[in-house]
Amino acid sequence: MNMAVDAQEAESPIVYVVDDDQSIRESLEDLLASIGLRAKTFASPKDFSRSEKPDAPSCLVLDVRMPGVSGLEFQQELTSAGMRMPIIFITAHGDVPMSVRAMKAGAIDFLTKPFREQDLVDAIQICLSRDLARRRMERVTTELQRRYASLSDGEREVMKLAVSGLLNKQIAAQLQLSEVTIKARRGQVMRKMRAESFAELVRFYHRIVGSDTDLVELS
Amino acid sequence: MRGKRGAVMRWASMLALAAAIFVGDTVTDFEIAVSVLYVVVVLIATGFLPTRGVLAISFGCIALTVASFMLSHAGAYGPGVVNCALSVSAIAATTYLALKSAEATLAEQAARAQLIRLARVNSLSETTASIAHEVNQPLTGIIASGNACLNWLACDPPNLPKARQAVERMIGDANRTSGIVARVRNLYKLPKLNANWIDVMSVVDQVLAQSETELQRNNVAVTVMFAGAPLEIYAEAVQIELVLLNIMLNAIDSVARARSEPRVSIEARLADEKRVELIVSDSGHGVAPDRLETIFEAFYTTKTDGTGIGLAISRSIVEAHSGRIWAAAKAEGGAEFHFLLPGRKKKGA
Repeated sequence: MNMAVDAQEAESPIVYVVDDDQSIRESLEDLLASIGLRAKTFASPKDFSRSEKPDAPSCLVLDVRMPGVSGLEFQQELTSAGMRMPIIFITAHGDVPMSVRAMKAGAIDFLTKPFREQDLVDAIQICLSRDLARRRMERVTTELQRRYASLSDGEREVMKLAVSGLLNKQIAAQLQLSEVTIKARRGQVMRKMRAESFAELVRFYHRIVGSDTDLVELS
Repeated sequence: MRGKRGAVMRWASMLALAAAIFVGDTVTDFEIAVSVLYVVVVLIATGFLPTRGVLAISFGCIALTVASFMLSHAGAYGPGVVNCALSVSAIAATTYLALKSAEATLAEQAARAQLIRLARVNSLSETTASIAHEVNQPLTGIIASGNACLNWLACDPPNLPKARQAVERMIGDANRTSGIVARVRNLYKLPKLNANWIDVMSVVDQVLAQSETELQRNNVAVTVMFAGAPLEIYAEAVQIELVLLNIMLNAIDSVARARSEPRVSIEARLADEKRVELIVSDSGHGVAPDRLETIFEAFYTTKTDGTGIGLAISRSIVEAHSGRIWAAAKAEGGAEFHFLLPGRKKKGA
């Protein structure tokens, strides 16, 4: 899409590690540093929650068994708080039901300690690329919503009817306006939304209203 | 042996009581219902006889009641019939209630045994899980640091300070792991031996008493064979009893699962001047020749609910007594467990 919103990420990716074991925090931070990844470590979920998080693609490496809140409980807290950082679980004593629960709740991977370096790195790469894509999507949507917000009410109305497939003539009749007015508003919509073609405008519209959920009906 | 003597005594007292009641009932008037006392005989019978035996005794008592009634001549006939009927129904009711309660006791015992077994397996699996967790933590650190070290060395130029730091962390974590292993060992270390000269017979008696319920429940016949003079061993009684009990319970378990007639025998003999040998043999399914050593290893078990530590602990106890334990397969089937302990002929015997 030609939207000039696809700017590079300002910050390099961050891997957050939450584990109550100091030697694991230190060794993981060093391991990630040795392959050029920035890591921030925390001894408890609480410390992690309180910390400031730079606006960067990131992922969370989370221990399951910790004093206080368990990793699995913390995952639920994050989800209900709307935090969408991808999570990799690590555990020294995992069982199948535990991993099933974690994966169902959206975890990217569930690694048993001691894990292979490659398994962790692979999981982190998946997380980061997913987070990158999610962030890009969100930025695009935000930008489109900003553009949409700059439209007047009348323009929005015309946009809605136009993308539903009506001709200018039909829109004019429906809104009880002249066809010339509709044409002018339609031009404004294309300009303000910075759409290069009518097909693009249709895509923009669906992205804004959040819908591929609009029912497609076959005649 | 001991059990047999007890049974003879019980039979004797029960029959004597029944005879006394019969005589008393016969010589007294119709109106005096001495025969109600037969319920005591029934209650004695439930103490040591199986269901069928108790029923037989109970029918016997009823028969005696009726016989007394026929033989009695003194007193009013009408109340006599009523009294006789009351006695018979009292005996029947007592038999029924006693058998019910015996059944409930058995069920309770079985449930308790099952509970103990479960608790044992549970606590073991929890312990192993927590040891695994403790050890896996530093291992994870060691592996991650090792990988980091390799990565730092692979840099161009190699980042030696970082690599050194990583190796130092690995050493620290390895020390931590060995500390955990030492703690676990301490946890399972046997306490210091508190050995004395003890009578072999008293150990065997103690174990037979402790396994009595299991023996009866599985209908196992036990033979105790002691040849010659009384023997004594230099051991801590509680620990050696634990070993013998464990082997006994294994034997009972094995004969209960086998098709052959359930038999277990305990034998004690002087192996040489300084050692006493105890042999427990059973008519169970035996031990495969290639497993004779493996069965003493920790966590090896053939039972679905076994922990696999009974024989391992037995071995470490016997070895702590400077003894030796081993298993053998009998030619006619079944297993034989031998253990040698420091021992001698009893002084003054």
